Order: sequence, then C-alpha cells, then structure tokens
Amino acid sequence: MIKEGIGLGTMFYGTGYGNGFPDVSKAEAVLRADGKVAVHTGATEVGQGAKTAMTQIACEVLGLKVNDIILISEDTSNMPDSGTAAASRQTYNTGNAVKKTCEDLREKIKEEAKLKLNLNTDVGLKLKDGYVYVETLPEKSIALKDLAKDKSLKIKGSFTAQTTEMDPETGQGAPYWPYTFGACAVKVSVDTLTGEVNVLKAVFTQDVGRAINPSLVEGQMDGGFSMALGYALLEDINVDNGKIKNDSFTNYLIPTSLDMIDIDNILIEDPENTAPYGAKGVGEPVMIPVTPAILNAIYDAVKVRITEIPVTPSRVLKELNKSKK
Amino acid sequence: MKDIKINVNGKTHKLNIKEDERLVDTLRNRLGLTGVKEGCSEGECGACTVIMDGETVTSCTVLTFQAKGKEIITIEGINGGNKIHPIQQAFLDEGAVQCGFCTPGMILSAKVLLDKNPEPTREEARKAISGNLCRCTGYNKIVDAIIKASKYLKREGN
Repeated sequence: MIKEGIGLGTMFYGTGYGNGFPDVSKAEAVLRADGKVAVHTGATEVGQGAKTAMTQIACEVLGLKVNDIILISEDTSNMPDSGTAAASRQTYNTGNAVKKTCEDLREKIKEEAKLKLNLNTDVGLKLKDGYVYVETLPEKSIALKDLAKDKSLKIKGSFTAQTTEMDPETGQGAPYWPYTFGACAVKVSVDTLTGEVNVLKAVFTQDVGRAINPSLVEGQMDGGFSMALGYALLEDINVDNGKIKNDSFTNYLIPTSLDMIDIDNILIEDPENTAPYGAKGVGEPVMIPVTPAILNAIYDAVKVRITEIPVTPSRVLKELNKSKK
Repeated sequence: MKDIKINVNGKTHKLNIKEDERLVDTLRNRLGLTGVKEGCSEGECGACTVIMDGETVTSCTVLTFQAKGKEIITIEGINGGNKIHPIQQAFLDEGAVQCGFCTPGMILSAKVLLDKNPEPTREEARKAISGNLCRCTGYNKIVDAIIKASKYLKREGN
C-alpha cells in the first residue's frame, strides 16, 4: 500500500569558524591606470559563486560595472589570504573585507578627486560608471582613469568576525555570529510493500540576510536539498572493519535528476547589520533541515520512527515489520 | 598499435592508437579536447559524455577502435567551435553551472534530447540527463536551462 505523509524540519546554523577561533579575511583594492579596479582576495570559487558575489559587492561600493572589476582570487602569489571556502563564511567574512576595502578605496578616490577638481571638500562626491562627480553639479567630474594616470591608488583591508569561546565547563556562550535560520516541509510516499520512499513535494525557506545574487542562492538551496535527499534515502558508504565497501557510484548512490523534484524555494531576507549589505552564508545551512523533514514525513505516513539513515527500502521494511509485532 | 580514422568535431583524424585505448584518453590526450571530463571511469557519472553518431556515450567505456568511421562531437565542437551554442547560453542564463565538472556532459545530453525532441517536458529533460550526475546544482536549474534552450533553438529556427 502507498501511504503519504508530511514532515517539517527546522534549523539554525552559525556562520564561520566560531568559538573564538580567529576568522580573518583580507582584501586589496587597486585603482588601475585604465580606470578599472582590481580586487585581490583569496575567496576560493568552488562553484558556489564567490567570484560573482565579491565582484557584485565591489561594483556596488564603487559604482562600477561588472567588467570594470578585475577579481584576482586564484593566484596565491597575488592575493592576500581570506581563509577557507568553508563554514559558509565567504560571503559574510570575505564579503565584508571586500566591501570595507572598496569603501576605503572609494574615500581615497574622493580625496584625490577633491584635489584634482579644486573642491573645498569631498562631501557630496559620487562614483558612477567610472567617474567621480559632484552630486549637485554633475558636470564637475573626473574619470577614474584620469585620477589613476600618475598615481596608483591602493588599499589593503581586512575583516575579523566577532566570535568568542564557549565556557568549557558549561558549554554556554555565543560561539558564532551571525546565525542563519531555515525550514523545510516535504510530502513523501512510502510503499509499505517494497519499502520505497519517494519525495513528492517540497517547500524550502532559507534566511539569507540579503540575497546578493538570488539565482545563486536558489542554486545553493537546490543543491543542498539534493545532497540531503541522498543523505536521507540513498547514500551509504558502508564501512566494514575500517574499509569503505561502497566506494564507487555503482553502490554509493547519489541522487540523479530523476530522484530530484522541483522545489518551491523561498528566500527570507532579513538583513544582518554586521554583514555586507546584510548577506549571510547559506552553503551548508541549506542541507540541514531537509533530512529531518523527510524522516518526520515518513513517520507521518507510516507511524514508524526511523532513527538510522539512509532510509533504504530494506530498513523501512525492517522497521515496519518490527512495529507490527 | 592500430591505424584508424575518426571524425571528431567535423574533422577527420588519422591516428595510430593502442588496441585497448579508451576514447576518453584519445580525445583528451591525443586531440587535446579536455572539455571531455573523466569522473568515475566506469560509465556511472556521465562526465565524459560525448555524442557518437547522434547518441550519447560515456567515452570512458568506449574503446577508440569502436569509434572507427564514426562522427564524434565533444563540447568543443558543439557549435562549430566558434560561437557559443544556444544550449550553452541557456545554461549561463539560468545559473545551471556551479563547479562545472558535469556541465560538458550535461550540455551534450541536452543536445541529443533537443535534436530528437525540440520541445521536451520537464520530465523528459530529467530523463535525458539522468545518466549525468551533478553534486552541486540539484539538477533543477539544469532542467530550467534545457527548457529555455528549447525556446532559444525554436527562435533561431534550428
């Protein structure tokens, strides 16, 4: 018999290394002679979109177009350290370092423009599309490339996240900052004859602070859901006496396109005040609430609480048989 | 060693190959077509997908002599090698690429689908890429991209 059930999972997750561990990101920004800005930072791109997000942040601060930011993030001889692309920390930590560094460069550019344009002050100066201009008199302007002609402007900056060590005795404290929150609801079917579980429908919400790039966030949510779906139902490395038995894709099954479903992704934007434009990390958080939601939905469908993953058909049948006795 | 002729991306190559040489190695090492990715080496992951006479094959499980006289298309030759293909454009526009390792295989599987079925449903698109594993995207934006590509191709009248 096919039985259906609905389940919910919720989570919160602390961004960054946490627990007092120094969590530092660095960046350098250089106004080049051609008027473009080079941003050097060690935010490793692994497909999550770090290069896009860092470029967007620099564009926003400096009023430049994407093609006018040269991001150097893979040449280790030519960029400062920005820590690992781990702990869902790059957008928050390195994003902050890039934003702060570009803001300092922007102020330096304004100062230079003040001198070049013979102004009393740099108050009311704006940067847009490669020009600095007086907001109330836009014809009073100078191109960034003319500013950089005889003097290269270079800024170094860094950002250190505020984390404190927990009390080792009580485990109390505030080890992470900031936290992200998420919730996922799924509908599953359980075949009581074969033990097969299928996820039929999913609604997935993720607090992102501010989505620097909504499409990238959705991509992270889809990917996190898929990984968690595999974690819940398919993936078993099957360690026996210290040896991994399922060591190939023939028996270590990860979800295919036919295992995945279309998800109703909902981004919650509640800007975090210490974050770059309010943005928080979502890389790992998006995997967390999905497996509990699936397990709760299985319970709702067949009233059997499964506490071991992956929930393979044989495990479902075993638990169903146990519950009948 | 064995002399064979294969046609890759519209060009005929005369090659002197080892009898047990795999197509993935010929394409990558002899012809420099490194867009052909080797993942699992056992035909499970689809990263090394190429098109052989209009059908997708995993080039890690094809021996090069089996490609004798056949027409192979790799990601490098998908649009004559000069211009971005509408399927590639759709992948970019939909954010269907994350780490990129599965992308060449995904695009070639999508091409074979769209060559045969210009207006696939989402389910048909899912089925067409079910032999291509992706760990990053959760596949949904890839499905979005295939549907968008079918519209781009229709607009271009291909």
